[in-house]
Amino acid sequence: MSALEREISPRVNAEMLPKWIGKTVRLTCKLLNFDSESERSFRVEASDGGQVVIQAINTGEPFRPDDIYLEVIGKVIDATTISMLGCIGMGNELDMKLVNDTVILIHDPRFFGKMFSY
Amino acid sequence: MSQYNDSSYYSGGGGGGGYIAGGSPFSQGGSPGGRVRTDISHSLRPVKICQLNKATQAHVDAEFRLDDVELGNVSVVAQAVSIQPQATNCVYHLDDGTGRFEARHWVDQESETNVLNWGGLRESMYVRVTGALKGFHGKRYLNTVHVRPITDKHEIFFHEMEAITATLTVERGPPGGTGPKATASGSKDVTMTDASAYSAPSTSVAQDQYAHLPKLQQAIVRFMMEQPPSPEGTHVFAIARAVGDGNDAQKISAALDQLMDEGLVYTTSDDNHFTLAN
Repeated sequence: MSALEREISPRVNAEMLPKWIGKTVRLTCKLLNFDSESERSFRVEASDGGQVVIQAINTGEPFRPDDIYLEVIGKVIDATTISMLGCIGMGNELDMKLVNDTVILIHDPRFFGKMFSY
Repeated sequence: MSQYNDSSYYSGGGGGGGYIAGGSPFSQGGSPGGRVRTDISHSLRPVKICQLNKATQAHVDAEFRLDDVELGNVSVVAQAVSIQPQATNCVYHLDDGTGRFEARHWVDQESETNVLNWGGLRESMYVRVTGALKGFHGKRYLNTVHVRPITDKHEIFFHEMEAITATLTVERGPPGGTGPKATASGSKDVTMTDASAYSAPSTSVAQDQYAHLPKLQQAIVRFMMEQPPSPEGTHVFAIARAVGDGNDAQKISAALDQLMDEGLVYTTSDDNHFTLAN
């Protein structure tokens, strides 16, 4: 098994970000607004209600997703900032309580080491 | 010709044959490398890619095992990072946040279906892949029988929960503690495991009704509960041997009288045999 195959990007909420600084994570979130100055970052609300700033990929075009709910895959810069590597649309209706309950279960010590990491 | 002809394990009457009494792991396979197929091979278990990467295999021709249980078919919900249609198959590279894995879907060459457009599959979308875990020259992949796009995003989180549930069910038996015990062969079925983890509540509930009793009476009742059911009940000598430990016959007799006064035990065939009231 190669190192690439063992790379994980676990689902997190805003409260968990400080523990994952420098690592790649998946944040399921709701789009709030775009940064009016740079147009390359936007603010989202994570499943636990915490707000996070996402730095979009610099493609020359402003990032404008079609969906309200997103799964942002990116590297954690600090407790409130993620540098985006990829983004998946999650539609316009998503039960964020279900998402948050799932995220908490994923990181439960009984399951995380066994099923969600190496 | 059997490889066991000159084996020291050969038993039975003289003459030919040579199969080990009770059968051989290779007796059904046809070839020495064939493995016995069990009912597990037809099961379906939701898993994470991390679990697929951690599954073990005794040797290259053995079945894959996860949590010490044979792995049949598996179902994975993951992002299709890349889709590569080839001449005879389509290769999906999957990532579900716990690792990356390759899934191969063999395509009917005579079909006119455009694999990339089949089911509306596109790169980066979430898909559900069902198939069997295979190994080839040290590399693992999913031999895929079905791929479909995820339309309701809640299914992604449902799959996380279902994978956790399946893992717990394998470990502890189905919820409710009513699942049957492990099969006689000693190997565990995906849905049947030793339910001993769920036998504790029923025992503790029974002990609760005796919690108010003095220590000696509790010891007598606990010993009687552990005995196999019998119409005659338990002989007083057996009770005395078990709970004797410093208690003389008079104390044990008095304890039994008190248990009878409370209606918790009663005599059966004679005054020396006791059984629990419930």
